Amino acid sequence: MKLHEFVVRRLLLLIPVMVGVAILTFAIAHLIPADPAAAQCGDKCGVVVDYTDNGEPISAYEANRERLGMNQPVSVQFEKYMTRLVDGDWGESITYHRPVLDVVKDAAPITLEMSFLALMIAYPVGITLGILSAVRQDQMFDHVMRFFGIAFVSLPIFWFAMMLQLYFATGTENGGICDPILGTSGGCFPIYGRHDPSFTYPEDGFAWFFPAGGTGFHLVDSWFVTDTKLETLPDDFDSRRLLFKDTLLHLALPCIALGVSSAGSLLRYMRASLLEVLNEDYVRTARAKGLSESRVVLVHACRNALVPIVTILGFSIGGAIGGAVLTETIFAFNGMGRVAVESINYLDFTVIMGVTLITSIIFLLSNLIVDITYAIIDPRVRLE
Amino acid sequence: MRKWDEGIADRKESLRRLLESLYQSGSDLRRSWKIYRRSLLAMMGLIMVISVTMISVFADRIAVEHPYRNLQDTEDLWTTDWEPRRAEPFSEECDWHEQKIVTNTRSALFSEEVIAESNDKVGDDNRYYKDTLSVIKIIKIEDSKGYDLNSSLLYIHPSNSTILVLTPELYNNSTLNLGVWVTYEFDNEAMHHSWLPDGYDVCIFGTTDTGQDLFSKVLYGSRVSLKIGFTVAILTVTIGTIVGSISGYYGGRTDEVIMRICDMFFAIPGLILAMAFVAAMGSVTSLTIPVWLGVIVPILFLATISRSYILSTVFDDDRISDRSMNFLVDYRGWIFSILGFLFFIGLLPASSWPEFFGTSDSRPWRLVASLAIILIIGAITFADRKFVENSNLEGTSQRISKSLDWTNPWRYLTLRTIAIFVAILVLFRFTGTDGDEITLIKDFDRLWKIQAALIFTGWPGYARLIRGQVLYVKEMNFVEAARSVGAPSGRIMFRHILPNAWAPLLVAFTLDIGGTILSASGLSFIGLGAKTGTAEWGILVSESRRYFLDYPHLMLYPGLAIAVTVLGFNLLGDGIRDVVDPKNRR
Repeated sequence: MKLHEFVVRRLLLLIPVMVGVAILTFAIAHLIPADPAAAQCGDKCGVVVDYTDNGEPISAYEANRERLGMNQPVSVQFEKYMTRLVDGDWGESITYHRPVLDVVKDAAPITLEMSFLALMIAYPVGITLGILSAVRQDQMFDHVMRFFGIAFVSLPIFWFAMMLQLYFATGTENGGICDPILGTSGGCFPIYGRHDPSFTYPEDGFAWFFPAGGTGFHLVDSWFVTDTKLETLPDDFDSRRLLFKDTLLHLALPCIALGVSSAGSLLRYMRASLLEVLNEDYVRTARAKGLSESRVVLVHACRNALVPIVTILGFSIGGAIGGAVLTETIFAFNGMGRVAVESINYLDFTVIMGVTLITSIIFLLSNLIVDITYAIIDPRVRLE
Repeated sequence: MRKWDEGIADRKESLRRLLESLYQSGSDLRRSWKIYRRSLLAMMGLIMVISVTMISVFADRIAVEHPYRNLQDTEDLWTTDWEPRRAEPFSEECDWHEQKIVTNTRSALFSEEVIAESNDKVGDDNRYYKDTLSVIKIIKIEDSKGYDLNSSLLYIHPSNSTILVLTPELYNNSTLNLGVWVTYEFDNEAMHHSWLPDGYDVCIFGTTDTGQDLFSKVLYGSRVSLKIGFTVAILTVTIGTIVGSISGYYGGRTDEVIMRICDMFFAIPGLILAMAFVAAMGSVTSLTIPVWLGVIVPILFLATISRSYILSTVFDDDRISDRSMNFLVDYRGWIFSILGFLFFIGLLPASSWPEFFGTSDSRPWRLVASLAIILIIGAITFADRKFVENSNLEGTSQRISKSLDWTNPWRYLTLRTIAIFVAILVLFRFTGTDGDEITLIKDFDRLWKIQAALIFTGWPGYARLIRGQVLYVKEMNFVEAARSVGAPSGRIMFRHILPNAWAPLLVAFTLDIGGTILSASGLSFIGLGAKTGTAEWGILVSESRRYFLDYPHLMLYPGLAIAVTVLGFNLLGDGIRDVVDPKNRR
């Protein structure tokens, strides 16, 4: 099978899974006994809000049911739901009073930025430590690293995030450890938020070739702010570099908190994978040729040991997006996780379904990319 | 039908086989243990898990005070509206100081009510009483709106300091009909825990924002977490095993459909799916029979079709009176009818029970009825071999009675009977009444929602794991051999394939307990799980968020508890993996 055939096949296989996910979200929202109609009117469900043509009273509850389409048979509801999904009309949010797609569109880049940066921290750290650990197998360093690999996976993200806040985002009086070492005041990282509270991040006024409202990824956007816009910002943030630095500083703690468990599992996988490869014949051949140990490990062994690691990327992305719910709550980022939590509190089902669908689309697409990468690295995959 | 006396040879044979298998598994275990204890990390994990388990078991012995006011376990233990207070919130110092009580002035008995009691309860869970405390002095009396009242309205009884006495003015004052709040100081020593020296400070973790002892809350939190961890892990494993083995064994279209369903679940990140599920449970406050059956039936199903690992056996012949067994064998028809009758009573709505039995508390009857359910299901279970071997329904009843070998009752001491009893135990732990329906999970609202959500999101992982194992084992020679001598599918599946596929399942199970505790505390943290005020680690961390910069101890200890527990289970799982999967051992 050629590579492009493989890609097309995988894309086609994605369609039934997407339909399945849509069915699953529909089932969760409709077949389970929560009653959004009752939740929306609360204790005013009995209040008469309108009359039918025959003069019979309609209570607030019935009106809600009518509005949410709950009077119709499930099959009709499902049909409607699917057609609207395809049309791109995902309904209106009750909490935000905006179309669901808009809400999710604003929130998604925030979560994605955080998750991907977290993985970008986790991968180098995890892989490096994994390699070192495998090379020093059964030495003290290896034992310590094995322990830390498991310990990182066992850390509750939310607690670890708060510990980071406590030690790296507060002054000495609250137990922060940065100030005496680096001479900063109030900790070396900001405690929460996406940017400094002294200014509002520019939502327009980007370079002409850029999307009107920016991409939503502040790390990218900050390089494309126009000069006129920059002048309106406070002195400390009036250059693109400073803007970028500010964004990066704000992202640092959440990303470390989010990345640490991925780093732990990567360490363990990398170690196991490399140990397996180091027993192979071609490694022995390489050693027999008289190559230096570092060349044997880094060039001959690592390349092959990294192949299975690529598949773990898929799981890590799912874990990071899920974990982002917790870090977003703690660091006050208005990403998808926070949107989900808020809409759950108000039983805003359109948003819940929207968030679930979008996260699964992101997850599936990134898995697709991972699979394609895998197929490029290891052509045997394509043959199956 | 054979008589009891004819079964002696069978019983002896069964006993021999049991002993043999026990000996075999004993030596297997010893060998595994030898491998296991070589690893320092694995031993650390084992110690951690054992200590956390011990702490959760003996939490009420170690804890200084009872942290629950609104957790399901103890909801009926706290009927009074008062709560003893520590001196200060966020305090390191830990003396009992004063407490606020609300008293109903309308109560005629008020002047004789004992209102100060110690925290130590005496007696078992059903009937308990508390030691009375000595009130030292009344600090303040307020009406229900918080205005100070003249403190001469209430005084301490001169001969008995545990009784507060009400003056006639207060009793006659009609504006106070909502009750009065009394804040008073009392004798400290009685409040201290029995195992501690008098007056010894034990709030080693300090007190919370409401002045409760954090140490006790963290201790009790281990109960909640372990309960969630084990329940969810067991149920996900059960469901996953059933689905996965069906998928792997039958293959073809069944496999395709099941795996596509699993793909749907995998396409959504676990935590997000669990959140959506919790949201969808919304206002559900209790699970009623139909829903709960969805949880029990998989266990029973597994029980029904599984073959025993523990070989069937009997105890020594002398232990069982032949006469009584003969009686049971002869009158089995009657026994079954009675059980069947009780079973149908068990199905009746709870509101009609008082009419039946003239009692408002139907719990004992529910117990009997459910036992009947279990016994009947057990009886059907015992007959399963015939169902599997001859699946046409002709003469089924005859076959059932034939397959029930009453002459060797102890051969039913098998894995499936154990599974059935686990099911009934689970059933009973959470039975209550709600309106006119028997509610099988009380207080679903609190912790059960996240458990249900985690089960809902967790099973596909196991299904995939087991399917892979089954596919792998299915190709082996001994399965081929079993098939070629004509063994039925059920027998091949449960006798030949699953026993050889359980090792990775055990590892995944251990690791999953840790993972579940993590996710459950995460869900609690964002406010979807346990309610505020519960002694649950996630909740404790989340409650501390408002104060944690000034009082980091509030979040430090509960979080550490989660981390240590999860680490323990992960290390344990890793160690077990090294034992069962020699390839990974390095």
